[in-house]
Amino acid sequence: MPLASYQTSVPVVVDDAKCIADKGCTVCVDVCPLDVLRISEMTNKAYMAYDECWYCMPCEADCPTGAVTVNIPYLLR
Amino acid sequence: MALDQIVDGLSEVSCDVLVIGGGTAGPMAALKAKLKNPKANVVLLEKANVKRSGAISMGMDGLNNAVIPGYATPEQYTKEITIANDGIVDQKAVYKYAQNCFGIIEELDGFGIRFLKNENGDYAVKKVHHIGTYVLPMPNGETVKKALYRQLRRARILISNRYMATRLLKSAEGRIAGAVSVNTRTAEMLVIKAKAVILCMGAAGRLGLPTSGYLFGTYENAANSGDGYAMAYHAGAALANLECFQINPLIKDYNGPACAYVAGPFGAYTANNEGSRFIECDYWSGQMMLEFYNELLSGKGPVFLQLKHLHPDTISEIESTLHKVERPTRGLFQQGRGVDYRSESIEMHISEIGFCSGHSASGVFVDDNARTTVPGLYAAGDMASVPHNYMLGAFTNGSVAGIDAMEFADSHDFAEFDAADVAMERDRVMAPTKCEDGIPPNQIEYKTRRLVNDYLQPPKVTRKYELGMRRLAEVREDMQERMIARNAHELLRALEVQSIMDCADMAAHASLYREESRWGLYHWRTDFPEKDNENWFCHTLLSKRDGKMTSEKRAVEPYVVPVADDEKDLYDKQRIRASA
Amino acid sequence: MSSPFESYDDLEDADERLQAADPAERRVAIIALGHSGDPAAVAHLANMVADPDAGVRQQVAMALGEFDGPEAASALVKLLVDPERIVAAAAADSMAEFKDPACAVIILPLVKHAHAFVRMGALRALKELRCKDTLKPALEALHDADAAVRVQAIGVIGFLKLEESIPALTALINDPDAHVRRAAVSALAFSQMKPAAETITRALKDSDWMVREMAAETLGLNVNGSLAADQLIACLTDEFWQVRLKAIRSLGKMKVERAVRPIGHCVNHDQANLRKEAAAALGEIAHPDGEAFLAVVADDPDPDVRKNARWALQQIAARKARAGA
Repeated sequence: MPLASYQTSVPVVVDDAKCIADKGCTVCVDVCPLDVLRISEMTNKAYMAYDECWYCMPCEADCPTGAVTVNIPYLLR
Repeated sequence: MALDQIVDGLSEVSCDVLVIGGGTAGPMAALKAKLKNPKANVVLLEKANVKRSGAISMGMDGLNNAVIPGYATPEQYTKEITIANDGIVDQKAVYKYAQNCFGIIEELDGFGIRFLKNENGDYAVKKVHHIGTYVLPMPNGETVKKALYRQLRRARILISNRYMATRLLKSAEGRIAGAVSVNTRTAEMLVIKAKAVILCMGAAGRLGLPTSGYLFGTYENAANSGDGYAMAYHAGAALANLECFQINPLIKDYNGPACAYVAGPFGAYTANNEGSRFIECDYWSGQMMLEFYNELLSGKGPVFLQLKHLHPDTISEIESTLHKVERPTRGLFQQGRGVDYRSESIEMHISEIGFCSGHSASGVFVDDNARTTVPGLYAAGDMASVPHNYMLGAFTNGSVAGIDAMEFADSHDFAEFDAADVAMERDRVMAPTKCEDGIPPNQIEYKTRRLVNDYLQPPKVTRKYELGMRRLAEVREDMQERMIARNAHELLRALEVQSIMDCADMAAHASLYREESRWGLYHWRTDFPEKDNENWFCHTLLSKRDGKMTSEKRAVEPYVVPVADDEKDLYDKQRIRASA
Repeated sequence: MSSPFESYDDLEDADERLQAADPAERRVAIIALGHSGDPAAVAHLANMVADPDAGVRQQVAMALGEFDGPEAASALVKLLVDPERIVAAAAADSMAEFKDPACAVIILPLVKHAHAFVRMGALRALKELRCKDTLKPALEALHDADAAVRVQAIGVIGFLKLEESIPALTALINDPDAHVRRAAVSALAFSQMKPAAETITRALKDSDWMVREMAAETLGLNVNGSLAADQLIACLTDEFWQVRLKAIRSLGKMKVERAVRPIGHCVNHDQANLRKEAAAALGEIAHPDGEAFLAVVADDPDPDVRKNARWALQQIAARKARAGA
C-alpha cells in the first residue's frame, strides 16, 4: 500500500529570531524525551519535526534564550 | 542528508554494571554502583537524554510515601501497603524500603533536591489521611533531574544517551551477559557486555489509548513504552501480578493528575457533581479507583477536584506548585479551558490502563535485593514489582539494586553469549527498515492501543478478552510482516510498538489467569466478581517458557509485620462492592 | 562510529570558545561547562562574570549553580550584585543550591548590601549553610526596611535553632508585615523555653488569619504548646475555619480532654474539612464524652467525616476496654 502524509498542527513553536541553534546550541533537541525536535538544515534553527509531544516543557524551560513555546496539542486542548 | 538517515553499523563495548534507563531509579542505581566500586565501569544507557528523561523530567511536586521518623514508622507503612494491595505483598521489600527511605531523602536533600521545610529547616510533613502521615511537599521540586545529572557527572558515570536497549543477552547457563541496543537517530547498533544489568525502564505507559486519541497524551511519560517489561519477558524473567493494572485519576483530557496530594494538605478534595466527597477508601489503590469509576458512571458524575471553598491566597499557593512542577503545562491547559480554580471545580476522569508498580503492583518480579529471577539481572523503579513505590521507592530501590549489582559484578566474570543471538536480534531490529512498502508504526500503534481500550480495559469480560486477543494477534502479524520504518526515528517507534504489543499480550494473559476479582478496578472480572482468598491469595508470575507465555501461582512470603484481622476489617468496612 | 558515551573532555577548547566574538557562541560554551561536572570548569566560568553581554552573565550564573564551594560562591557573589535583574535572579537561585558551609563567609558581606534583592538573595543562600557565624548579621537583618529581607533573615535564624535568638524572634510579633509575623511564629517552634510558647500563643490573636493559623499549628509542634490549651480552645470560634481546623488538630495531638466539648460543637460546621478534623481529634483524645458528638456525624454525608468518626469511636471503645480491664 502506498503511503501518504498527514496534516497536523504541531504544539512546539520556535521563535527563529531568538533561537541560537545556528551558534551551536542543541539544548532543546537534547532534552526532549520523545526526540521530536531537530535543527533545520535550511534555516539552522530548531523546529518540531515529529508530532509526538508529551507537552512536558523541558525544551521551553531549558532554552537559554526563551525561544521555545510549548502549546497543548489541539486534540486535547 | 535526509532526516535521521539510517547508518549501517554494529559495535561492542563492555562494562561491569550496565544500568538501562536514566530516569529516576537508574541514575541512583548507577551512582550507588559506582560509589561501591569507583574503579569499576558503570554504563547508564538511556533512550532519551538523562538530563530530562523519565517520569520526573520536570521534577516532582511531592513525596506521597515518605516514612519520616516522628510522623510514621516502617511497621505502620508496611501494614498500610499490605492492606492497600489486598494482602498480596512480599513485605520484606516494602519494609526494607520503609526503613531506608528516610536516609535517601537526606541524601537527595544533600544533592540539592528541594523538599518543603518549615522555618526551623525541618521537613514540613503534611497529614492527609487519618492513619499515617506520609506526604512531604516539594513546591520547588522542579530541579530533581538537574541535581541527579550533576551527581552522575561528578562520579564520571559513562552516560549513553539516545540508545534504546532492545534485548538482553544471556549465557547458555542462563546468566546475564549484556544487552543489545540501537541508536535512535542513526539506527547503528551497540552491544554492551556486562557482568550485571539493572533494568530501570519505567512504566508501560503507552498501553491504553488516552480518551483524547492523541497517542502521546499519556499519563506516564510517553517514552515509557514498556520496553523493560518486554525485555525482561524475552530474557525469561518472571513478571508479577501484571493483571493489577495501573489506572489513575486525571484532569479530564489533560494527562496530568489534578494532584490531590498537592492540593489535599491545603484542604482540597475530590467531589461529585453535588459537591460532596464520595471516596471511602483511604489510600490510592484499585479500590479507590473503583469508587471513582462508579461515581463517574452514576448520575452523580462527573467528578471534580474542588478548591473553590479555599481562601484565594491558599489557591494561589497551590497554583504556584501545580503550574510549575511535574506537569507544568497544567496551568496552560486550564487557561485554555477558561477554568479558574477560585470559581470553578476541575473536571476529572480516569487514565488509560498501563503497568506500573509505582502506583499499583504490576512489575518484573524482584526480591528485597532488587534481584529478578535471572542471575545477574536486577530491576528497580516503576517496572519492578515492589508495590506502591512512587518516586521515592524508585530512588530507594535503585540504590539497593546498584549496590547489590556491583557486589555481583565484583564476584563474577563476564558470561559468554552466543554471537548468533546478536545476529538474530539485529535482523529483528532492522526488519522494518528492509520493507519497501507497508504499514507505518503509528498506525500499528493506534490500532493496538485502540484494541486495548476496547477489549482489555476493566471491567474485564472473558469473552471480550478472547476476542481482543484474536484481534491483537492479527495486528501482531501485520507488525511482524509489514511494518515499515523509513528512518531511524521511525525505527524507534517501530521498536516501541513491539514492546507495546508484548505488554498488551501479557496484560491479557495475566488477566485471564487470575480467576477472581481483586484490587478494585485494576482487576475487576465480571465473570469472577468476588475476591477468592482460598484459591488466589497468591502472586501470579508470568514468564516465557519454551517460547510460550505461561502463568503460575507463587505463595505470598510470610509477613514480617503482622496485620491483625480487625485492622483488615476496618479497611474492608469502607468497601463498596464492584457491582455497585 | 563515534564514542557512544557523553564526553568528559568538555574543558579542552573551553578558553577558545569562551572568547568567541558572538555572545550566543559564548553562551553555548558556558552551558557545556555547567553540565561538565568538572570542578575545573569553575575557574573558567569565574572569568566570565564581567562579560559585556547580560545573557552570557545570566548563563554563567546558572552554570555556577551546578557546583558548590567557595570558588563558585565568590563568582556568584559578583553576579548577585549585577545591575541586570535577570543575572542577579539567576545568581540568587544558584546560590540557594549550595550546601558547603565554607561558602558562608563569602556570602556574608552581601547581607549589608544597598539593594534589598541582594540582601534577600544572600540570606536565602545562608539558610541551608546553617553556619553559626551568620546569626549576628541575620539578627541585624531583622530590622531591615524590606519585609522580604526580614522573612529570609528569620529563616537563617530559625534553621540554626539557637535559644539565644528567641528574644529577637519574639520582638517580630509586632512587625507590621503579616508574612514576617507568620514566619517568626513558625521559627519559634523549636524552642524548649516557655517564652517562645507564650509568644506563639499571643499570635493566636493576630489580625491576620494566616498568622493565627500558623500559630495554632505551631503550638502543636512546640514542646510547651499544651500550656496554651485554653487559648487554642478559644480559637475554636475563630471566624476562619482554617484557623479552627489547625487549633483542633493541635488540641487533638495534645490530647486535651477539656477540649472535647468545644471540639464536639464543631461537628455541625458547614465545612466538611472542619467536621472531619473534629472527628479525628475526638478520636485522638479518646475521651468518652466525645461519643455523643461522634454519633451525630456517624451518618455524615461526607465519607471522610464518617471514616474519621468510625475510627474515633473505635479509639474511645478501646480506651474504655483498657480502663475496664
